Amino acid sequence: MNQVYVKQNVEESHQNMKKASPVLEVKDLNIYYGEHHAVKHITMPIEEKSITALIGPSGCGKSTFLRTINRMNDLIHGARSEGEILYGGINLLTPKVDVVQLRKEIGMVFQRPNPFPKSIYENLVLSLKFSGIRDKKKLKDIAEDCLRKAALWDEVKDRLDKSALSLSGGQQQRLCIARALALKPKVLLLDEPSSALDPISSSKIEELLLKLKEEYTIIIVTHNMQQAARIADKTAFFYQGELIEYGNTDQMFTHPAEKRTEDYISGRFG
Amino acid sequence: MENKSVVIQMQPSPNNEGRSLIQNKKKWTSIFNRNSEWRGKIWIYGSAIVVILSVIAITLFLTVQGLRSFVVDHINVIDFITGTEWYPDRAENPSYGALPFIFGSLTVTILAAILAAPFAIGSALFMTELAPKWGQKVLQPVIEILVGIPSVVYGFIGLSVIVPFMRTHVGGSGFSLLSGALVVGVMILPTITSISADAVRAVSHDLRQASYALGATKWQTIYRVVIPAAKSTLLTAIVLGMARAFGEALAVQMVIGNARNLPNAISDPSATLTTIITLSMGHSTTGSVLNDVLWSLGLVLLIISYGFILLIRFISRRGQIS
Repeated sequence: MNQVYVKQNVEESHQNMKKASPVLEVKDLNIYYGEHHAVKHITMPIEEKSITALIGPSGCGKSTFLRTINRMNDLIHGARSEGEILYGGINLLTPKVDVVQLRKEIGMVFQRPNPFPKSIYENLVLSLKFSGIRDKKKLKDIAEDCLRKAALWDEVKDRLDKSALSLSGGQQQRLCIARALALKPKVLLLDEPSSALDPISSSKIEELLLKLKEEYTIIIVTHNMQQAARIADKTAFFYQGELIEYGNTDQMFTHPAEKRTEDYISGRFG
Repeated sequence: MENKSVVIQMQPSPNNEGRSLIQNKKKWTSIFNRNSEWRGKIWIYGSAIVVILSVIAITLFLTVQGLRSFVVDHINVIDFITGTEWYPDRAENPSYGALPFIFGSLTVTILAAILAAPFAIGSALFMTELAPKWGQKVLQPVIEILVGIPSVVYGFIGLSVIVPFMRTHVGGSGFSLLSGALVVGVMILPTITSISADAVRAVSHDLRQASYALGATKWQTIYRVVIPAAKSTLLTAIVLGMARAFGEALAVQMVIGNARNLPNAISDPSATLTTIITLSMGHSTTGSVLNDVLWSLGLVLLIISYGFILLIRFISRRGQIS
């Protein structure tokens, strides 16, 4: 499958010369849960200011891969990873990396909206307080900025002091995205961010992501093939821990190089 | 026509493997049937009614007995609650001021909570957040042992360790409010710890993930996310511990000094409502004024205990709204 990627990459560089160098460079990544080899020999570059979708059936390792990028898998007992994820020339998997700083650079949004049981405002500024920012004015400005970016400002500007749990599921998820933006991350990881939401909220999230990609590098895990087709610049198909195919979304959905990709996309399994 | 339909109803339907769609009305025989719905209901309803009735009975009995000193013996309620002179056995001009004991009980309770709560919540966090594997394995039996130790043993240890320690290091006789609070503080430690641990465990894993993903350290997650999310249950744990401290008699009695006047400092000997009841009950005869005022002390205890329960209700309801 490495060949597939190399081939496409060459084609691409012909098509599009101005493409920036990758912000994240994954090289021969292996992830284990105890004895279980969950992710096998993944190599893929992730381009700056683009949306990369990770698709594949449940248990194929895509979420595990995503959670390894910001080292959230460290919290899982028995999880370990080998290989390299290069970010700004640093291998994120080395023990020397300060995971607390890393997670400020690479934000994450989860499948279920998980706002803190605090006010909307507190939700937005808590991460800034973690970083030691105390200036009230500054906190307020950042909170407003994040809410505007997450297209939530108009809906909540009059009730910032109300509990975040009073928001609808879709609003809560956009609040979680806004919260992740507060630390000005470079990369945003989203683990099935709209699978727990209704179609309208879901499409709002998609709109939002398309807007956010102008500033951020976005990696999204999704079970929704149409979603990947709609918003992603690049799509990676995972199957049983392996990266089967990785390339431009258009090409992958119209002319998949691999039989298994085609079968999955057309709904024959998964 | 009518007659016929009645006959049909009374007969169990012959088909369907002996099953009948008509309810079995013979309830008295079904009491011997293990699967009888009715028998199960009687047992469950019966237990609930017995428990409720006994609580009502205790409250009523204590109220009637406790009010005797005010109604029959004409002691002024205000004087009883605010008076500081407790000389019920004085031949002439006896006085019945219970304030020192109410004060003693509340002070011991609050001090014990202040002493125990940080340790209890700290160890609860230790066994749930920091070392969920072995912390749990070590602390759980320790907590169970603390619960299992009889209060007389706590009192005895307090008497032979804490009281001499206080005598040499704080001064006075060593029998004091502080000694009482220390002993009771250790006694309520397991109560607060186990409820706090449950509260912390109940905090959704999603919230911790959210916090870590925002670049929080472990301590920041505990302090800013886990504790606030578990706040109302943690407060409930402390109040439940206080309710237990408030009712403790024996161990406190052994170390507090049982002085009948208001203490000037926490290193002074004092007495609580419970200790004065256990100390004096044996000397009083039923129907005497002394006996009546002891019942009144019991009534005060009951009212304040109800206050604790109301407080818990209030805290947990407020926690649900936010």
